[in-house]
Amino acid sequence: MATPQGLEQRSPLRSLPSLTDSLRSRREALLRLLAALAATLAIFSALIAALGVNPLDAFSAYWEGAAGNKFNFGQTLMIASLLACTGLAAAIPFQAHLWNVGGEGQLWVGAVAAAALALKLPDGLADWQAITLTVIGATLAGALWGFIPGILKATAGANEVITSLMLVFIGIALGNYAISTLFPSQSNQTESVPFDRLLPNIWTGTLVTAGVLLALGAVVFAFVLMSGTSLGFKIRAVGLNRNTARISGMSTGRVIVLSFAIGGAFGGLAGAIAVLGINGALVAGFSANFGFLGIAVALVARLKPLWIIPSALLFAGLRTGSGGLQAQTGISATVGEILVTVLVVLLLAFGVIRLRYAEAAQ
Amino acid sequence: MILTDVFALGVALMIPMLWAAYGETLMEKAGVLNVGIEGVMLIGAFSAALGVEYGGGIYAGLGFAIVAGLLSGIVLALLYVRIGTDQIVTGIMFNIFAFGLTTTLAVEFVRATEVTSFAQVEIPALSEIPFFGEVLFEQNMLTYAAFLAAPLVFYVLHRTWYGLYARSSSEYPRAAEAAGLSVWRLRYAAVIGGCVLTAIGGVALFSSSGGFVSGLTDGRGFIALAIVILARWNPYWIVAASLLFGVSEALQFQADRIGPLKDVPPDILVMIPYVVTIVAVVIARASRYPPAVGIPYKPSAKAS
Repeated sequence: MATPQGLEQRSPLRSLPSLTDSLRSRREALLRLLAALAATLAIFSALIAALGVNPLDAFSAYWEGAAGNKFNFGQTLMIASLLACTGLAAAIPFQAHLWNVGGEGQLWVGAVAAAALALKLPDGLADWQAITLTVIGATLAGALWGFIPGILKATAGANEVITSLMLVFIGIALGNYAISTLFPSQSNQTESVPFDRLLPNIWTGTLVTAGVLLALGAVVFAFVLMSGTSLGFKIRAVGLNRNTARISGMSTGRVIVLSFAIGGAFGGLAGAIAVLGINGALVAGFSANFGFLGIAVALVARLKPLWIIPSALLFAGLRTGSGGLQAQTGISATVGEILVTVLVVLLLAFGVIRLRYAEAAQ
Repeated sequence: MILTDVFALGVALMIPMLWAAYGETLMEKAGVLNVGIEGVMLIGAFSAALGVEYGGGIYAGLGFAIVAGLLSGIVLALLYVRIGTDQIVTGIMFNIFAFGLTTTLAVEFVRATEVTSFAQVEIPALSEIPFFGEVLFEQNMLTYAAFLAAPLVFYVLHRTWYGLYARSSSEYPRAAEAAGLSVWRLRYAAVIGGCVLTAIGGVALFSSSGGFVSGLTDGRGFIALAIVILARWNPYWIVAASLLFGVSEALQFQADRIGPLKDVPPDILVMIPYVVTIVAVVIARASRYPPAVGIPYKPSAKAS
């Protein structure tokens, strides 16, 4: 357990494991996973019991909320679309060994841009044109929000953890400004986006919209970017060793800025899905930490784009399930955040998720 | 006087960040980066609310928060130091955990309807001084304690054996170990002590807000992270940097009396401290973390 994570992975010259080795390590990895899951369940059950609810009832309520029927499963799919995008927002910069922990802000700014465009684009546009422009605009807004910490990191060496976190709070304040002042309505949200300018429903009997397809497209795009383009290769090279990448002639500054902007673009897309595909307006407090949970999604997917899909589904289920729990027991749905974070920390602690070491502090 | 009011409020508002920044300094000087600072603060503020509700007052709240800070410190020390999980990711997860935990428990256990704060204590004679009297000497006990803590934190870090050893474990832990020190134990002490100070910051925040609401900290812990960098780990400069952020936060509450800010919508004014933080981090570009900060240490005796 005390083995520092990733030390053995870091050596590019490690010998190929023999078959028995790989079987043994696979069994060990499975044991670690089971231990982490068991510990998570134990901690969560204890908490639920302490709140006066039978844990078994809680788990059935959880399952009911997440996937108990077609409608609830549809809700889980929509949350998973958001989390897949915010997961990519974290995963791409993480691959370059940059801590984009500002996905929440990129999500908010994307949502603000989506609401503004959907409400203010001229009436002359066809609906599909308006939707396309709105989605692109939101994505660009998110990209801008990612660009800022990226460029500050590349040019001034400013700590990207702090700058991207600060932009979260600025983004949320911007959202509240849009809600209170720019496009006010009677309730705690902006004016509603006209129905024709929303993403269409694609599964009758549920609220599943084409937002799911956008998220899938984003995942495929990220997969191609990371595995099939030279930029993806450069991002990974910078992540493995920034100095080596620089010495071999890569413009590391450009890669840093681009990976951050691309990550931000995915966050902005999540904002568009939230407004056009889920809420139909920019709603105050619409994000239940979805941007931050994207970090968890990315880690469990081991930063690999295709693995983002199951990972996002898992965390979306954990989130919508807590809604079911709230409906049946009155325990606040924020209990879902406890379950998710305990799970991720224990996966880290048991070495199921491993991260490379920083070569140095900076 | 507008200026007096802004600064008096600024001093009151800087205190939560000041305590948290002291805590963070202790940890970083021992080689641990606590991004979970926001969560520890939130737990401190929530414990203060519990103390008021069930312990009979704000001083009970302070006691509850110190205990909660200890417990958070033990959990984080296990993760950051003993197990050696990635500190940035663990910290972010701890923040969401603390948000979930405090919100869930607040729904069940916190009803607090009346505003509860530390009493204001005027210091005789000194509070008569124009401007400085009102700004500095008409505050509460936790504020005075925060200012007195600066030389204390400096003393611990730079004039005691513990401070010297701890600093060595953030500069070059391998050498610290070779000199016979336990890097882990130095860091345990720093993380647990640092979390207690951070939780006290949460109490100060609870006191200045007069109550607990979900997500009360609103980024103040993260601002404390920036304060520490800007002040280059020097407690005296931390006081100065905290004042900058306290005042920039105070501006939004006094904006209607300040000409150029009068017509700016409140939702935009809220952004000021965050923007100032970004500017500060950019300005402090030459300020670098001690080399071993954020990297879990593996004692060589236990190497395989």
